[in-house]
Amino acid sequence: MSMSMVTGNSYLESLLQGQPQLPPSPLAWFNRLRASAVDRAGMLKVPTTRDEEWRFTDISPLAKLSFHPVRTVPSLQKEDIARFYVEGTSATLVFVDGIYMPELSVQSNRTADLIVTNLSAALATHAHAMEPHLGRHAAFQDNLFAALNTAFLHDGALIIAPRNTAIERPVHVLFIATQAESTSHPRCLLIAEPGSAVTVVEDYVTLQEGPYITNAVTEIAIGDNAQVSHTRLQRDSGQAFHMANSAVSLARASRYRSISVAFGARISRYDLNARLAAEGAECSVDGLALINERQLADTHTCIDHASPDGTSRQLHKCIIDGAAHGVFNGKIIVRPGAQRTDSSQSSRNLLLSARAHIDTKPQLEIFADDVKCAHGATVGQLDNEELFYLKSRGLSEVAARNLLTYAFGAEIIDRIPIASLKRRLEQTVLEQTQRN
Amino acid sequence: MIYPDSKVLLEVRGLRATVNGIEILKGIDLTVRSGEVHAIMGTNGSGKSTFAKVLAGHSAYQVTGGSVLFEGKNLFDLDPAERARAGVFLAFQYPIEIPGVANSHFLRLAYNTVQAQRGKDELDPLEFEDFVREKMKLLEMSPDFLDRGVNEGFSGGEKKRNEILQMALLEPRLAILDETDSGLDIDALRIVTNGVNRLANRDNATILVTHYQRMLNYIVPDFVHVMQSGRIIRTGGKDLAFDLEAHGYDGIGNAQPVAAGA
Amino acid sequence: MSAVLQNLVNQPYKHGFVTDIESDIAPKGLNEDIIRLISTKKSEPEWLLEFRLNAYHQWLKMKEPEWPNVKYPKIDFQAISYYAAPKPKKKLSSMDEVDPELLRTFEKLGVPMNERAALAGVAVDVIFDSVSVATTYKQKLAEVGIIFCSISEAVHAHPHLVKQYLGTVVPVGDNYYAALNSAVFTDGTFCFIPKGVKCPMDLSTYFRINTEESGQFERTLIVAEEGASVSYLEGCTAPKFDTNQLHAAVVELIALDNADIKYSTVQNWYAGDENGIGGIYNFVTKRGLAKGVNSRISWTQVETGSAITWKYPSCILQGDNSVGEFYSVAVTNNYQQADTGTKMIHIGKNTRSTIVSKGISAGHSNNSYRGLVRIAPTATGARNYSQCDSMLIGDQCSANTFPYIQVRNQAAKVEHEASTSKIGEDQLFYFAQRGIGNEEAVSMIINGFCKDVFQQLPMEFAVEATKLLGFKLEGSVG
Repeated sequence: MSMSMVTGNSYLESLLQGQPQLPPSPLAWFNRLRASAVDRAGMLKVPTTRDEEWRFTDISPLAKLSFHPVRTVPSLQKEDIARFYVEGTSATLVFVDGIYMPELSVQSNRTADLIVTNLSAALATHAHAMEPHLGRHAAFQDNLFAALNTAFLHDGALIIAPRNTAIERPVHVLFIATQAESTSHPRCLLIAEPGSAVTVVEDYVTLQEGPYITNAVTEIAIGDNAQVSHTRLQRDSGQAFHMANSAVSLARASRYRSISVAFGARISRYDLNARLAAEGAECSVDGLALINERQLADTHTCIDHASPDGTSRQLHKCIIDGAAHGVFNGKIIVRPGAQRTDSSQSSRNLLLSARAHIDTKPQLEIFADDVKCAHGATVGQLDNEELFYLKSRGLSEVAARNLLTYAFGAEIIDRIPIASLKRRLEQTVLEQTQRN
Repeated sequence: MIYPDSKVLLEVRGLRATVNGIEILKGIDLTVRSGEVHAIMGTNGSGKSTFAKVLAGHSAYQVTGGSVLFEGKNLFDLDPAERARAGVFLAFQYPIEIPGVANSHFLRLAYNTVQAQRGKDELDPLEFEDFVREKMKLLEMSPDFLDRGVNEGFSGGEKKRNEILQMALLEPRLAILDETDSGLDIDALRIVTNGVNRLANRDNATILVTHYQRMLNYIVPDFVHVMQSGRIIRTGGKDLAFDLEAHGYDGIGNAQPVAAGA
Repeated sequence: MSAVLQNLVNQPYKHGFVTDIESDIAPKGLNEDIIRLISTKKSEPEWLLEFRLNAYHQWLKMKEPEWPNVKYPKIDFQAISYYAAPKPKKKLSSMDEVDPELLRTFEKLGVPMNERAALAGVAVDVIFDSVSVATTYKQKLAEVGIIFCSISEAVHAHPHLVKQYLGTVVPVGDNYYAALNSAVFTDGTFCFIPKGVKCPMDLSTYFRINTEESGQFERTLIVAEEGASVSYLEGCTAPKFDTNQLHAAVVELIALDNADIKYSTVQNWYAGDENGIGGIYNFVTKRGLAKGVNSRISWTQVETGSAITWKYPSCILQGDNSVGEFYSVAVTNNYQQADTGTKMIHIGKNTRSTIVSKGISAGHSNNSYRGLVRIAPTATGARNYSQCDSMLIGDQCSANTFPYIQVRNQAAKVEHEASTSKIGEDQLFYFAQRGIGNEEAVSMIINGFCKDVFQQLPMEFAVEATKLLGFKLEGSVG
């Protein structure tokens, strides 16, 4: 314990090294936010498996490596990253190692009233819109990684969907890692004004296979009757550490639809908190972790029904191969007074090898009586009846297994609302689930 | 059927009721004599289901005016269970599921409660089993219904049949069937309505609450009442239902209110 | 929700009387001397004193646990008396020798301890403030080789058996309260079913806490040898006191090859009053080791009492093809807190476990299911099915479900389902429309909700459990 604390703290110091070089902002509230996050990050300890929230996720390998903040980034052309662009977006923002790249970004299809810009530029123009939201949803009091991200806050993506407008084409925010042993703190803020509708893809990719840290925070504020579709793809390198927090706030009768997919990273941890803050809000939170070798993918979600008449649906799946380790902790809270909440949650897990393992904990905490809540969890192999059926139709054992495994993962991918992206990811699932 | 000199079973005068402070029933008048079949028709939101639930005593509705006499006694003096024991039966539009409580247990308890009220013999589980099986034949229900939880996992049609089975067991004086035809396919509709017809006699009466004329092909009403905005706006014989089917509710929407009953 | 339900859930505690028997109480506090005193009072062999001291030293090094969903003021372990025995303490060979005051107590409790009990096939070992007073039908059981006696008696009469098994399922340092129990346990039950014997009757023990400041630390050890089987019933009540009392029991079950142990509990310790004053802290460690192939351990519990219940009757499924079962009804009302569930640890091949948990919360209570299903890498072919349902009555209570599922073997199958429901106005109206009053409707709904658990209980207990739930959740309709 004491050993890991020592290494932990020095590692923290190393992470905080870059902080003093951040230029102060002319905005007092922004400086205050960052300063309080620096304070907080200095006080919090690196979580260990003795913390209930980190019980199954040992991040001590992180402390054994050294990382540095990014100072310069390689020059990239659009052609170098062509395979990451998604067709038909209304705008694409590209960040390389956490730094905004206007020349790689695409704004040409954006309708005039949709705001898609980088956060540091927006501080000059949209500070007023950002102030009530930035750092207000993703609490960092007890969350070291959110505190670190906020301490390093200087740039990121800002999306504002204007009032009573449906944005047809998705917005793509692409984070590309290019340097080993680097640390980046990507930040996104999405404000969906009342009555708006928008689809956003938050996408983490890499151009190299070494270790690095991505420590992301995304905040999403959804106004009355607004709708947000949020697809999150984590395709980091197999050596990377991916820490991420998303915080979503839902106003009256708003809707949030989330699909998160984790393929990459040596260790990934994704915390999604969705708060149904006003009456009649709806959210669906789906996820897929497809991992292999010694990967660890940990998803913690909290769906917080704080108001009456809310609905939530969740389907989380893990496909675990090699000696990989899947973790799912899905909490559903129904607060006092959140009557007529209708919530269901399902955790489905498939182990493909003898050394694969899973820890899943769906949990309900209910403080209101007039509610309908259900959850379920399964862990197992492919269904023998289904296998038999396919084999009786002439498929080989391997082909039948491949088909069912693919279908297990594709159920989540199918829910992604962007056809071209869906096809590409289905291909990835296909490649990762097929054996000879 | 209309019988001469049959006595008045239900007398509704100026009935008003609200839910959550919103007035749904705005003065209903209706007289039902024993032996009669009344159909109350209307669009969604006209107040017809509210009327049925108010008669049965659902606590979500507040009676704000008017009177209802059942066999000459003030119905509102009775709580819901007392009304049921007195012979007011409501076949629910959406029968409630009660997991874990065996249908046979529920049916027997209900039956014995009503029997006791009428000063008749209660049945022990074995006697009841024989009795209920007879009644189930009427509705072409399989005996395994008895072992399942009350309405638990029943299809829509099974639930409605279970309602009519309860009606057959409890032998009410006044049966109110709330949208019993909704969600039924033709076979199920035939079975259910056949059951209702066979239970009708000159000592009881039936109120059918329905949106569509369809059920009235099977159960012929003596009176048809059209409800709109919480009032009965028109009353006629069975032909009125055909008019509605042909011309729609809008076609008669502006007609003058007519005193209900015979 | 309606006043009807509020009235239905409030009923006075029926077993809240104090029996006026002079007690032999040790001075308050815990130290080595107290442990030696307990050991001396009970004329224990040296090895047992060592066992106790070892546990005590481990306990000293442990931290009192803090549980996320259970809240109570810190317990002062030095303010508890660790030994209390009813005074006329001579050997009793028949029921006639038992203090009549005690017998009246049992009568009030409805303990079936007389001849009628024999006809009902119940043998009763009565534990009264930690000391076994009478064991009935011992003779009859002895004829088939079954040992059923207090654990103090077993320590003297069958030391090799006690020594062989005590602390093997729940090690002395297992957890804070198990360590405390191991240091200070005063009595309990020992039950040994030899090879091939099917116990001809249900064995039953009735526990009762009588002294205001005494903790109860009983210890139960049940061993079923190869091919043996036994069904054991445990009932618990305690009188009303304004202070809280600690009950920290340890139960160990061991099933060898093809053995079968069924352990049923109806727990109705005093739960505190309607303002949450008083009541038992029920911090209990119960664990069964399904050691042999094809062995089976089955826990059934109906938990209605105690201010705080913290217990997870568990199964370690070590033998191949062994089976673990947990059937639970936990009812909380007023300010009760229950954090209960089970652990199913699958180690052997093709081990199977079933968990059925029904939680009912009313008043301001907090009712949590916490369960662990762990499939070890060795447990190829293991299966678990869990179902956890909660019912809430009123909007001031809470129900939580915390299932931990840890799977380390790909050829295993685990399924967990949970749901929450309430007794709705619409359900009550439906019953009413069929002539059935609210009180009867609530009783039917609750019994329907708990049906899967009640049908696991032995007949006499099922009746008692149904009645208890009645006391707890029904009453006059307002």
